[in-house]
Amino acid sequence: MAEVTTTNDSADSSSPAQDERLAHRGPVQQLLTRPEIGALIGAVGVWLLFWLVSAPFGTAGGTANYLDVAATLGLMAVPVALLMIGGEFDLSSGSMTGATAVIVVLLSSDTAELGGAGLSLHLAVPLSLAFALAIGWFNGTLVDKTSLPSFIVTLGTFFILIGAKLGFTKLFTNKVIAEGLDRSGGYEFWDNIFGATWIRNGHVWENDGWTNLWSSRDWAWSGLLIIGAVVLILGTMELAYARRERPILGGYWVFIVGAAVGAVGYILLLNQDSKSSNWVFGIVTGAGVLVAVAGWCLARYQPAEREPAPTEHDPRVVQFLIAGVVAIVGAILIAAVMDPENSDRLDFLTGTPGRAVLAIGIGATGVLAVLAAMGRVSVGYPAIGAFVALIPAVSYMITVQGARAILFGILGIAGVVLLSIAARRRELAVVFTLLTSVGIVILAFFIQSEAGSRKLRVELFTALLLIALLLAASAVSRLIAARRTAAPPPPIHGPLARQIGTVLGLAAGLLSLILELADGDGILYSLIMAVAKGGIAAFAVFAIATLYRTLFTHDESVGRSLVFVGLGSVMLGIAAKLMFITSEELANTRAETRFGVGVMLFLAFAVLGAWVLARTQFGNWIFAVGGNKDASRSVGVPAARTKTTLFMLVSASAWITGMVIAFRLNSVQANVGDGNEFRYIIVAVVGGCLLTGGYGSAIGAAIGAVIWGMITSGIGFATWNSDWRFLVLGALLLVAVLVNNYVRSQAEKVR
Amino acid sequence: MAEFLELNNISKFYGNIIALTGVTTTVNPGEVTCVLGDNGAGKSTFIKVLAGVHQHDEGTLLMEGEEVKFNSPREALGRGIATVYQDLAIVPLMSVWRNFFLGAEPKTGIWPFRQIDIEGAKRIAKEEMGKMGIDIRDVEQPVGTLSGGERQSVAIARASYFGARVLILDEPTSALGVKQSGVVLRRIIEARDQGLAVVFITHNPNHAYPVGDRFVILNRGQSMGNWAKEELSQAELTQLMAGGAELDALQHELAQAGT
Repeated sequence: MAEVTTTNDSADSSSPAQDERLAHRGPVQQLLTRPEIGALIGAVGVWLLFWLVSAPFGTAGGTANYLDVAATLGLMAVPVALLMIGGEFDLSSGSMTGATAVIVVLLSSDTAELGGAGLSLHLAVPLSLAFALAIGWFNGTLVDKTSLPSFIVTLGTFFILIGAKLGFTKLFTNKVIAEGLDRSGGYEFWDNIFGATWIRNGHVWENDGWTNLWSSRDWAWSGLLIIGAVVLILGTMELAYARRERPILGGYWVFIVGAAVGAVGYILLLNQDSKSSNWVFGIVTGAGVLVAVAGWCLARYQPAEREPAPTEHDPRVVQFLIAGVVAIVGAILIAAVMDPENSDRLDFLTGTPGRAVLAIGIGATGVLAVLAAMGRVSVGYPAIGAFVALIPAVSYMITVQGARAILFGILGIAGVVLLSIAARRRELAVVFTLLTSVGIVILAFFIQSEAGSRKLRVELFTALLLIALLLAASAVSRLIAARRTAAPPPPIHGPLARQIGTVLGLAAGLLSLILELADGDGILYSLIMAVAKGGIAAFAVFAIATLYRTLFTHDESVGRSLVFVGLGSVMLGIAAKLMFITSEELANTRAETRFGVGVMLFLAFAVLGAWVLARTQFGNWIFAVGGNKDASRSVGVPAARTKTTLFMLVSASAWITGMVIAFRLNSVQANVGDGNEFRYIIVAVVGGCLLTGGYGSAIGAAIGAVIWGMITSGIGFATWNSDWRFLVLGALLLVAVLVNNYVRSQAEKVR
Repeated sequence: MAEFLELNNISKFYGNIIALTGVTTTVNPGEVTCVLGDNGAGKSTFIKVLAGVHQHDEGTLLMEGEEVKFNSPREALGRGIATVYQDLAIVPLMSVWRNFFLGAEPKTGIWPFRQIDIEGAKRIAKEEMGKMGIDIRDVEQPVGTLSGGERQSVAIARASYFGARVLILDEPTSALGVKQSGVVLRRIIEARDQGLAVVFITHNPNHAYPVGDRFVILNRGQSMGNWAKEELSQAELTQLMAGGAELDALQHELAQAGT
């Protein structure tokens, strides 16, 4: 029987007798097949860009700023993504957000001259929710009963809502704005919910002692990052290499000594800020980590067999190597030549020359497009013309330091990627990997000695050093340890650890909640703290259990738990950096940092959406009705109900968004939210959703919203010309979609 | 002893159109009943009556000796009659295990944290497919990446796992190549050996004869008869299927043209 199936499958060439024909796929390969990978790469790239260009962007204040923009978008983008995965669109979603806000304000504001109806908010707010749900139900039912495309049906609702909003607002107030929410009955209660903000400074900077230690040093976040990275390395090694029957304890001692040396080196590195000491302690740190990795491999994994020396040389290795070195050198040159503190616009192509280049670019694009359509030149050529046309735009928009950051970033990343591609090509892989990491280290030290700001000296330096160490560690471990032949078994989560973690997490959360509430802190703040502390407690238990399993059991499946713990602490480190800890210089300004309730809800929505999609029956049905409605109906999925629920979910989220908007300013423009529906869809597509349905991700949509927020507020932070904002957003959208497309085709090839 | 499923003179009319008339046959566990016929012969109507999509207008349908009339597909499914349609009820972008359990996901945990028992679902899907002799490499791979025969197999394995006693297969081999058809015919035998009653609908006598125990031939809504395998040779089956006399005439013409 097995023979029949295997011969039918051309992709499978291994022997049919082998039960497990799956090659092992590491966490990186698995990540690459996810729909949100394009958005994730984009988000990291955009963040790096603005972080390099503008000092406040990377601080808690900057984070609060762009998360706020992202939140009002993402609160809708996540449910819209679910709806798109379910195969439908809702064009009324944007004006729906405004409609709920208008309804609440018009119904409640009781001052006669403002023309409100004077209902209590206790009635008006639930009424607007009922209205939203009714519209969602109407959309869903109409789409289901008529089988018309949802584009058409919801376009109708869209116009009805726009017209009704404007009409009623003018009817009641004689203006296009409805105001006076703060004078309505029950305002206090509802403002506490939808208008709540969490002021970070109020809670971190007032205290001294511990928090001072945290705020004045970058240890906390960078420590979490580094521990996370180390655990991540250990986890990937655990997944990749074959275990020994019994560990060699001497290897663990080597590991401990190496880790200790690395840690001491790193602490000294952070404390010393002179060029020579950086070199010394940087080398000490690196050597310590590599010794630790070697010790770990010696202790746990079977020794590598020597691979036979390759007989042929791939000529492309040399090409990649040269290209990589050129890119790195170029990055260094750019960094050296251009002024990092210069915030003037580039303006190298203004006036007549700019117009000339623009004209040439447009003309060339047109001519090349005609030639491409005739098949004379390949399709890539018109793009070159378009790039030429964009040069003056870039010159008008970007500052000198911005251009420096972009060029440096692109060249640096290209160099690292090219060098690691060279390293992947079989022969001399280990040597190349080591060379690459040395290249990165040199780059890191160069930036560090040259940089004017502490951010570049410490943060970028740390990041580059980490990347170099990751590469070097992988090379060293490949030299020592033998690869697994079969994939490791699926993880058996320690039920005991999970129970203890849950109980402890709940207990910590409850305790924190009670204490904070007793202290008189707001409900929102107390809840956030409770969730955060509970989550951290549960995570800590899991981390300790994983450590125990790693060291004292012969559990083959511990690798994935290690990867989870590593990723968790890296993310905690990033969150700590972004939300709590500003760098020393900025701490002194004590600028107030506010995270609105919208941000919290947005993050909760993203997590909830991801969980629903991946883990619940409803999520399964969403994918099913979007992928093949008739098929899912015939196996018993209530397709109509699923879709209607999705429409109602979107409109309920529109209600939440509308409330957040209304309680932010206490007044609402009649046209607020109109036109946003396309942004939601764009953001969902950037996040990896297919327009045709059946494929996508909630987390991706959330990341897409964050990208949008980062660009809109980042351009302001970087003091770039914001007239060009949509040009950047449009270009980014195209790039993200192309990357998604490419990744998906690659992923399907892998399978 | 009463037959498991017995059809006596089943007829179906759409208004004044006679879609199906006078169909008589039996379906028993561990047997394959083949329904043959050309396009428009009434095969689809026959399936729909059995699957509960339509109700027959004349004749009797006995299940374990008791007269039944299915008012909905759900009712037929409840009595253990599962249908695998030609276009297959699968979602190509979803993974094998998600398709396997679609609509009947096993769940674990307490509400509101109720979620799909993913590890269990994957394990069962792999086991069940294994029982049908299908060796899926990775239950996480999208069904769209499987070959046509494997997709058909997933649908059959799913039907038999969810308690089907009668498995109706609507032209499972029509869109497949020779090798793939072989795979599906094997699946039919596996299902039969597991004690299922199989109703195999096809227009290809070469596929029907090797696996069938009983044959019903339909032509333009009329039942041409109901034979056990012993009563019929493959040549006769082909002959009947092609409408006997017409094929003779064609052969005659071809022979003349050849000389």
